[in-house]
Amino acid sequence: MNLAETIRSAVWSLQSNKLRSFLSMLGIIIGVAAVVGIVSIGLGAQASVLDRVSALGSNLIMISPAPTLGRGASVSTDAREVFTVELAQYMEERAPSMKRVVPQVQTSGLLLYEGTNLRASMVGTTPAYKDVTNYEVRAGRFLHELDVDQSTPVMVLGSRAAERLFGEADPLGEQLTFVVGDRRYSFTVVGVMESKGQVFMGNYDSQVYVPLSFVMERILRTNTVSTLMAQAVSAAEAGAAVQQAEFLLASRLGTTDGFTITSQDEMLETMGEVAFTLQLMLGAIGGISLLVGGIGVMNIMLVSVSERTREIGTRKALGAKYRDLLLQFLVESLVLSTSGGALGLILGALIANAVSRFGDWPASIELPALAVAFGFSALVGLVAGVYPAMQAAKLDPVVALSYE
Amino acid sequence: MSLVIEARDLRKIYHMGEEEVHALRGVSFKVVKQEFISIMGPSGSGKSTLLHILGCLDRPTSGELLIEGQNIQKATGNQLAEIRNRRIGFVFQNFNLLPKATALENVELPLIYAGVRRRERRERAKVVLERVGLADRMAHRPPELSGGQRQRVAIARAMVTEPTFILADEPTGALDSKTSAQIMELFAELNAEGNTILIITHDPTVAKQTKRIIHLLDGQIIKDTAGDGVSA
Repeated sequence: MNLAETIRSAVWSLQSNKLRSFLSMLGIIIGVAAVVGIVSIGLGAQASVLDRVSALGSNLIMISPAPTLGRGASVSTDAREVFTVELAQYMEERAPSMKRVVPQVQTSGLLLYEGTNLRASMVGTTPAYKDVTNYEVRAGRFLHELDVDQSTPVMVLGSRAAERLFGEADPLGEQLTFVVGDRRYSFTVVGVMESKGQVFMGNYDSQVYVPLSFVMERILRTNTVSTLMAQAVSAAEAGAAVQQAEFLLASRLGTTDGFTITSQDEMLETMGEVAFTLQLMLGAIGGISLLVGGIGVMNIMLVSVSERTREIGTRKALGAKYRDLLLQFLVESLVLSTSGGALGLILGALIANAVSRFGDWPASIELPALAVAFGFSALVGLVAGVYPAMQAAKLDPVVALSYE
Repeated sequence: MSLVIEARDLRKIYHMGEEEVHALRGVSFKVVKQEFISIMGPSGSGKSTLLHILGCLDRPTSGELLIEGQNIQKATGNQLAEIRNRRIGFVFQNFNLLPKATALENVELPLIYAGVRRRERRERAKVVLERVGLADRMAHRPPELSGGQRQRVAIARAMVTEPTFILADEPTGALDSKTSAQIMELFAELNAEGNTILIITHDPTVAKQTKRIIHLLDGQIIKDTAGDGVSA
């Protein structure tokens, strides 16, 4: 009896018991769908998170003071006090692996334009900010050196802030009022930025950008900044840049505490690890449901063998050999599990698609994941089928024929 | 006449716990080509055991069985399967058809195991189904057929491989008397066409319709007589 015959007769035998075949496939269907769905969603989410981290800029290093911990009465230099514009210049000059070091300060308040108001986060920074974050201007211009030198009251709007305040109207040249507490500041809008979308930490689009000096001198009245954003010369030098920043800061502060340095690479790596662990866990859950599905298939095959004892006896009397019956039941189990696998693939892909449509990330349905899940369902069918098939093949024909 | 079956002093002992059951106590007989024989005996006479041994489903404890000169005592499991497939055509009391396969598919089954190609299989199955008078029932499944028709399908299945002999186990046991008579008539016709047929039965009226009756009692042949079928 050749393989094509065997497969045909297996399909036929499963078709003649449709509901039962479907029910016993269910475990495999769910298992494969879970694996495919989870892995696709996971890969999509991972890609999306990585995108968001990449969207921060390229080869970025974030340097910021850590929250101060008072140590008794002896207050060493508060790390925040050394974060100045001067430090940024000092680091840019002294660290060979750093291309630019951009100081920034943040504050928030209420933006007023005619009848509209908007609570917005304000970033005071320098022209280089646009370059290190790969940020593009949509209309007008970004901040100039001159704005920073002279503390000009000009403002560049993130795309979402502009849309909220001005709708369809052209904001360029318009006057805005920024309210902090009981103080009011008037700004002229000189530019609108392109949309950058959701970025790893925060959203560039809903922020507004003004000259660093204006925020420090006029609004916050401070001489320290909140963060230094440094850009490494190249990806290869990012590690060295981190070390140089650590060294320079430590020599200023006299301690290695008091500040945190995070490179974009580190963030990517951490996010990648988290995503991988998550996927591994979810994949394991899928694997367990496949295992349970396999047990279901084995169970139904054992039932089938005992139900069909007389048929097995008849087939033996008609000349079926050990191999014929082994193959018959093995193929039946394989057809059962791979049919379940195929249905599971479809279901999983549909789920991943639906989730990505409602969620905010693209599902990435990848061929290797599909192949592995399908292959696994075949393996499950093979393993689950071996024992029942052997039971069938080695039945004594005399016993099988007289089985009631 | 060429020898089809030669049984030499067949013995079969079963072990039921401590007890030994002697199902066959030295059975010897010969069957030549185109014989129409019944092996008759009451239950417990050893006829089922003899059926299993003649059908190569089981081996005797001692003694020899030669089918067309081949000693089955030394055959492996797969060789026995091959002998059953090529040389023996089984007919069972309860038909033992696959309920979800059509009559045609049921008849094709032994040819599948013989490795016959699909098209030839179909042709040969049609020919034998026509021979047993079921030309218009080939696409029916067993539940849609009457008892007599089912047994005809089973007989067609037994004939399709052109076996050395047909071995029927109480072939009329599940049929009413009228249908039984028709089935026995079919066997007689098939025998007249050159088929060697062995029927195992407990029923003297069935046995009488064959040409030769081997009477079995307590695992031994007590009589070997001619039946009424001689005149047929």
